[in-house]
Amino acid sequence: MSVSSRSTRDPIYTPPESPTGSYYDLSDDNELDYNTITHTSTGRSVKLLYSKSKVYVHPSASQKDNIAGFMALLQQKAPAGQSSSSSSASEASQVLLAWIPESALGDAYDTYVKVDLIDAESPPRQSYLVPPPPASYSTGSSSMGNYAFAIPVSQIYSMLIRPPNIGWWWGSLVINSRSGDSFPALFFHDSECASTIAQSKRRARKTFDPFGEDGRLFWGGDEVLRWLRRYVRVEKSQVEPMLYLVDPTKEDLVSFVTKSIVDLKINEGSSSAGAAMDPITKVFKEARWGLLERLTRVTQFTRRTAETILDSPQVPPQVRRLLKNPEVVNLQDEFDSARLYLARWAMGIAEQSEREHQRMIWTNRDIMELEDTDVGEFEILEMDTGRDAAKRKPLTLQEWNKWFDRHGKLTVTVDEVKDRVFHGGIEEGEARKEIWLWLLDVYPWDSTLDERIALISSKRDEYYRLKGKWWDDFERRSNDEYWRDQKNRIEKDVHRTDRNVPIFAGEDIPHPDQDSPYSEVGTNVHLEQMKDMLLTYNEYNTTLGYVQGMSDMLAPIYAVMQDDAVAFWAFVGFMERTERNFLRDQSGMRAQLVALDHLVQLMDPKLYAHLESADSTNFFFFFRMLLVWFKREFKWDDVLRLWEVLWTNFLSSQYHLFIALAILDRHRTVIMDHLRQFDEVLKYVNELSNTIDLKLTLIRAEALFKKFQRTVETVDRKRAAAQGKGKGVTQRRPVAARAGSSSANVTASGSSAATANGTCTVEDDGPSISDDLRKLLSREIMRPDPTASSAASASSKP
Amino acid sequence: MASRKKPMLKVIILGDSGVGKTSLMNQYVNKKFTTSYKATIGADFLTKEVLVDDRLVSMQLWDTAGQERFQSLGVAFYRGADCCVLVYDVNNAKSFDTLDSWRDEFLIQASPRDPDNFPFVVLGNKIDVEEKKRAISQKRAMGFCQSKGGIPYFETSAKEAVNVEQAFEIIARNALAQEESEEFTGDFQDPINIHLDNEASGCAC
Repeated sequence: MSVSSRSTRDPIYTPPESPTGSYYDLSDDNELDYNTITHTSTGRSVKLLYSKSKVYVHPSASQKDNIAGFMALLQQKAPAGQSSSSSSASEASQVLLAWIPESALGDAYDTYVKVDLIDAESPPRQSYLVPPPPASYSTGSSSMGNYAFAIPVSQIYSMLIRPPNIGWWWGSLVINSRSGDSFPALFFHDSECASTIAQSKRRARKTFDPFGEDGRLFWGGDEVLRWLRRYVRVEKSQVEPMLYLVDPTKEDLVSFVTKSIVDLKINEGSSSAGAAMDPITKVFKEARWGLLERLTRVTQFTRRTAETILDSPQVPPQVRRLLKNPEVVNLQDEFDSARLYLARWAMGIAEQSEREHQRMIWTNRDIMELEDTDVGEFEILEMDTGRDAAKRKPLTLQEWNKWFDRHGKLTVTVDEVKDRVFHGGIEEGEARKEIWLWLLDVYPWDSTLDERIALISSKRDEYYRLKGKWWDDFERRSNDEYWRDQKNRIEKDVHRTDRNVPIFAGEDIPHPDQDSPYSEVGTNVHLEQMKDMLLTYNEYNTTLGYVQGMSDMLAPIYAVMQDDAVAFWAFVGFMERTERNFLRDQSGMRAQLVALDHLVQLMDPKLYAHLESADSTNFFFFFRMLLVWFKREFKWDDVLRLWEVLWTNFLSSQYHLFIALAILDRHRTVIMDHLRQFDEVLKYVNELSNTIDLKLTLIRAEALFKKFQRTVETVDRKRAAAQGKGKGVTQRRPVAARAGSSSANVTASGSSAATANGTCTVEDDGPSISDDLRKLLSREIMRPDPTASSAASASSKP
Repeated sequence: MASRKKPMLKVIILGDSGVGKTSLMNQYVNKKFTTSYKATIGADFLTKEVLVDDRLVSMQLWDTAGQERFQSLGVAFYRGADCCVLVYDVNNAKSFDTLDSWRDEFLIQASPRDPDNFPFVVLGNKIDVEEKKRAISQKRAMGFCQSKGGIPYFETSAKEAVNVEQAFEIIARNALAQEESEEFTGDFQDPINIHLDNEASGCAC
């Protein structure tokens, strides 16, 4: 193509002062005549401002269907009579954001490649002319194939931008127009894109900072955002983490962007077509794009099952009658735990159906159905979270090792590692052995290999020094009552901890202590190591000492590490996070039970009301789960997976409460239908042990966390708007009055829509967010109040 | 309404960790013994139907964690108890020494109407272990029980099912007597009786 041959050799090249009269040497951005240049094939041209290669449409889940194309920013000539130098608004209407498949570019391909490789902050000085993109900006078919599109940036309402996640997904972008159209999701294959590779290298060279937006790794989507920001305002929503609004109206700002600007007058009339749609509807409409990828169908079916379980033909009629007929209800009381039995049985059926349907893949018809029916917010959220569930492969050592430079320093962000582990877990074996040490803060995230080698060696020395403190002083200490009690306690607990796990099973050496109750039975080397480690912890943390439950928490760590000194420090890291659980006065456990109480109050007021009527709002039935982080509820392998997920603190340091909430939510129908007393609830929950599906629980917990996050935002916004203040309102306890509280259940949709439409009157009955709840959004480890723990220690010893 | 119902007796089992609370309970209810019980965390219970003088009663046995600090949350299930079983290990002097404080702790937390006459039963467990390991003689244990107002005392082996049935028969009997005396004094607040308030807590959905 001859059009640009002279001027593209070097992007910084400046044309000579007085060139020939050639059209092709135009160097002025505001030049009006470029559109008059005749393109060989079309007779018309537009100016290519930016382009990005290897942006794909994935029409199906199969890689071979992927279509490679270019994302481009194009400038068309202003309509006649309008000066292009006028307002930025008119400029925005002349600038088109387009995606065009490589196959449709023809001769222009070279130009797209060239522009892609121009690495400059502003558009090229030269005008690169290309054929106009498809005329329409609807999602309909165009001459260039079904997926190509171009939309004036002024017509973009919002974009859903999902940054890439190593080993999991490509970064992607979905554009939603003001008229409500969604364009196909575009996937940035950065590893194939020459310009993105070059740009991230350049960034690393120039600033030593390989990170783009939000501290994530730089990726192709960042570039698109940068282009757009030259022409329009792009605001990142604080409410919807992946949502970016283009030239948002005030309503949109109030609804989506940030609470710091809620004191804008929200009653001013709407000004754009986009705002005419209820913003929440819009979010969910937008969220649907996630469904276009393969999904597992999780909630909806189960909910339906659980609710209609009693009408199911599978239920023997006599059982149905027993449960439903009010006259027979009394009868149930004649059978001990009849309700419990039936409740468990009903749940068993639901679980089974769910497992069968978990594998079900969305078809187009499902999506159509979904569009026609009322899809609850929760289902959407959960499906969105569940998306890619199949791709959640555990992190392998091989993948992990690739993330290090030659000094053994991590080259990806901590958040990326955590994200990866949070969603995929870690492969068993060597990978866990290594990565757990990072998650448990034994290794600093910015350490080099040499530093880690030195560190582990000094930690090893330190462990043996600590161990020596009691080991070398054994005789004297045995006369100390407190120490002897602790030793006996450890002895008893270790001999009954995870003995079904191979390394702790059996006795093959004689017991070294004749006074032990197990002296006859014998012991094994791993049990002895466990005892030593726990006694050493007793030495290390003198304030707390050994407390029952700790042996349960050490066993998996030791089993994975099989190295006492290393496992000890990993255990110390775990205890840093859970120290609150073991305080003498139990204040830490109380605080967590209270937080769970508030959480259920906010998230599921109906269930909460039921628990209240069942005298169960002390939430004591979650005590065991919270104390040892579900150790007794899940199978061994699941415990390892769950713990590594929790250790990331990826969404919250209190994420275990969302696991609890997910378990509760899973069983809410049964609890509400069948359980009426504290003892029944406790028994039912205790007996969930070993029946809980971890994968489903994790998906549900994530959805619930996101819902919680939104609810907090919405409640804050609503209250702030009602009070005409710019800040969220904090109260010590959530407002207890939950009259008509079903609305609180759907606050995220209901109330913010009301706010945005300006119909929200001052209505103070809604829930407010307690401090206990707000803390659940924090990723900081919660430590015991130092005054409380020292008081506790004072009384814990004779 | 309550009178036509089968009584529900609530029994709390307390004692140091590892004395055999869970084992005793399981031996009595399920006729099973295994060495593979884990340390109890939180609380759990088992229910058993028993005949006391031709009356069918349902007995709920509450098992708790043995370490002292976990008792502070116990109020939730101490309430409405009809009998408290104190367990120690005859081979472990310390577990015997703490019986008194377990008893006090219970009375404080459960705050029964008439603490002086609240029924306790003491069980000295693990008598199957070889004699030379025995730390507390039967005589000493009985002396203690005598001094506390004549608490019934049994020496048991959960492992070999010695005296377990007999002990729980007395526990059931004393609990029933307690339940009836409470009823007699007009205590209708018993939160463990699941028969009292069907209408009040009817299904909310």
